[in-house]
Amino acid sequence: MTTYSVEIEVPDEHDIEGVDPGGSVTVEVDESEYVLAAARDQGVWLPAFCQQGWCTTCAAEVLDGDLDHSDAKRYYAVDAQAGFALTCVATPRSDLRLRACAEIAMKEHREANGLQPTP
Amino acid sequence: MSDDKPHAGGSIEPGDTSQRVGVTTLEERGLDVDELIDKLKAAAGAEFTTYYYYTNLRMHLAGHEDYKEITEDARLEDRAHFELVAPRIYELGGALPNDIREFANGASCPDAELPVPYEGDIPDTEDLTAEDTLEVLLEAERCAIRTWNEICDMTEGKDRRTFDMAQRILQEEIEHEAWFVELLSMERDGEINPAGHFVRGEPGEAPYSTNRRINDSA
Ligand code: FES
Repeated sequence: MTTYSVEIEVPDEHDIEGVDPGGSVTVEVDESEYVLAAARDQGVWLPAFCQQGWCTTCAAEVLDGDLDHSDAKRYYAVDAQAGFALTCVATPRSDLRLRACAEIAMKEHREANGLQPTP
Repeated sequence: MSDDKPHAGGSIEPGDTSQRVGVTTLEERGLDVDELIDKLKAAAGAEFTTYYYYTNLRMHLAGHEDYKEITEDARLEDRAHFELVAPRIYELGGALPNDIREFANGASCPDAELPVPYEGDIPDTEDLTAEDTLEVLLEAERCAIRTWNEICDMTEGKDRRTFDMAQRILQEEIEHEAWFVELLSMERDGEINPAGHFVRGEPGEAPYSTNRRINDSA
């Protein structure tokens, strides 16, 4: 089993249990684990809702590294190209650097690309 | 006024109908009401679409009358959840989308579709098993549990009314998951994995989430 280091940055304006606003934290994630579940297990309470790769609540920006999204219910090629991850169903394929709390940015990206959801 | 509740001193003029104390008191407690409304709309969308999809899934449990009956309970209770959430959205100053496609696309859970290809308007049910259908039902309930738990977390200690509603809906979603665990264990794995499911008093009884009966099915 390969384990990867996942550094998670949290933007200033977000209050995430387990990490200071504007700070970052590193968690260890097995290749078969979802990033969100592993982070929560290690005390970093990232936002989530459906936990099925559908609603985008858990979105993060990928600053560095690769993830596998094959379990996502709604994830498009352009999401990957634009560097968005759905941490609830993404497994690491390398060490990662992520910026959490990207739900709004991801929804705007989806909307700009004519993709759902467009609330 | 405490530092924790910086807006607690706010007041609304007597007779002023432009604001609601039922909302301002939540903001005073640090709840982001707009975010909550978005979450409730997404959750209501999930309940409503699940009601729709369960209708179709239930049809395709033909010959498994016991599974159909249990799916019917879950289906009607999910509709009851939608009926319960919708007024709360309006109380908070929100509204359901005018466009049902927007509503469904914004649902907090994936479509619980019949797990077979559709040829035109007709599903290809040649290889469909009860096990396939039970797996869809199970995952839909798990998504509902996760979303209602998130809403409980968001509202706990801040919004007693939404918390009370969310935790009562959550109770039923947990029961639904347990039912489908029991059924799938037997159907797929031949295992007895009891969940304590017994027939409701009436279909869709919604024993935890029903506030007041507006008709026999909601
Ligand atoms: S929590 Fe819904 S997509 Fe991840």
